[in-house]
Amino acid sequence: MVLELLQSLSEMQLVGELTVLSLLIGGIIMAGGIITAKIAKLLFHKYYAPSLPKDTAQNISKLIYFGILIVSFLGFTSSQGIDLSGIMVAGGIFAVVIGFATQSVVSNLISGLFLIVEKPAKHGDTIDLPDMGISGTLLDIGTFSSKVRRFDGTVTRIPNDKFFTSNIRSLTLSTVRRADAVVGISYHSDIENAILVMKNEILQTMPFVLQIPEPEFRIDELGDSSVNIHVFVWYPKDDWSQAQPILLATLKRALDNASIEIPFPQRVIWSGKD
Amino acid sequence: MSDASEITFSNYGIYDLSDNLELLLPNTLIKFQRISGNAFSYFRENSEGEIIEKIIPTESNDVKIELVPIQPLNHPAKRTNYVFLKLDKEIHLGENSAASIFVHCPIEIGIFLIYDDNHEPLDWVTCNPLNSRFSLYGSPDTGTLCKYAEVSLATDYDDSVSYVNGVMHIVIENTLSFAQTISKVIFPITDNNLYYNNSKSIIDGIKITMKKRAAVNIAEVKPTPVDTEWALASIWDKSIDSVHHMEMTLE
Repeated sequence: MVLELLQSLSEMQLVGELTVLSLLIGGIIMAGGIITAKIAKLLFHKYYAPSLPKDTAQNISKLIYFGILIVSFLGFTSSQGIDLSGIMVAGGIFAVVIGFATQSVVSNLISGLFLIVEKPAKHGDTIDLPDMGISGTLLDIGTFSSKVRRFDGTVTRIPNDKFFTSNIRSLTLSTVRRADAVVGISYHSDIENAILVMKNEILQTMPFVLQIPEPEFRIDELGDSSVNIHVFVWYPKDDWSQAQPILLATLKRALDNASIEIPFPQRVIWSGKD
Repeated sequence: MSDASEITFSNYGIYDLSDNLELLLPNTLIKFQRISGNAFSYFRENSEGEIIEKIIPTESNDVKIELVPIQPLNHPAKRTNYVFLKLDKEIHLGENSAASIFVHCPIEIGIFLIYDDNHEPLDWVTCNPLNSRFSLYGSPDTGTLCKYAEVSLATDYDDSVSYVNGVMHIVIENTLSFAQTISKVIFPITDNNLYYNNSKSIIDGIKITMKKRAAVNIAEVKPTPVDTEWALASIWDKSIDSVHHMEMTLE
């Protein structure tokens, strides 16, 4: 019964020597290839990827997946008796045509390859793209686009050619980072004393602030209402939340505890008679 | 927690956990309590008012707690394996000479859970959080993040401050043809074991050799084990890779 069915399928010619049976075998080879590629990718992610850097793991995973697919496709073409040498020549011409027609796609693909080779940022890095006004964590450098998870939780897809040609500011490449804040004290306050109390408060209550380089205080401006002091502190690169958001509150607490006035905007008006 | 001089603090060592256990450290209270046939509660309050509570399910009838000094790498968070000791007095070392000093190196205290064949880290505390900070050695982009402490010289191995620091022996050898002033010591502390006796602790020492390599003057730092009868403390994080020795360019 089955043999008869296969016999009849092999006799049903579609185009030239292409029969329904050979097409069926080719389909089985391709389906098997896709299933094998997916299983290989799954096993790689389960057993090997966790021990590798994430971007390396993703690249190897893609290599395995598409490698198996290409081998399957070659198996499919040979099962159909297709001569690839002719396709190679036609493929070259076809590639040029496609290249002109899909410049941006090819540009994204090439940029993606360059991003993988150059590695201006890697998976998990916190980056800032000032040209595009995007800041966040780099999730993936894909074949055509990259994904950045912004600090508000949304994910932005960036075409690779734009990502590659834009300024990339890495916020996690350095060992430490610097936070800063400006605080104003009244003109009748002792500047040295104000700096001392702020420094002591920072060193006692902000454990992630580095002792070396120590907090730095610069008289930034003799402003309209206050003497403005610019405060700089360094902290480990991953501990932004333990420095920048609480620095100003720490400075205010220190000045309040020492009864040093943080003046409101004010203006002294002299009348003509005075 | 009132006057520390009137209070007897818990020594380092192993304690049986039958029903309830209370351990007292400077500014820190630790309590274990059996809450059911095979579960304990853990409570810890430190000097900063931070409270940690955990439930410990265990089917073992033989549960023990180990309290030991550990490397000072966890407070306020584990970020590095390096320690930066800023000496309160500089050491002047002439050409082709050596010095042998003892310093007070900060420690933290580890609490381990022991049952059956398991020996698991449960919690850690520091009794001197204000002297547990970070510093940078080198430039912001390529430098090394270190745990920072200002340390004073000690007289011998018994000179440590209980629960706060341990004594470390440092040998500094200057093989250069000019004098050096040493004001700080930076090294990976991962290969330095700690030892304890009652409430005192000591740490494996280091040997620093200042020498010339080609056109560069470097300081080579290697750990030197202590030959002592004090009990060897458990290691908090066994997954840390050993560094064995480091080299740095002299400033």
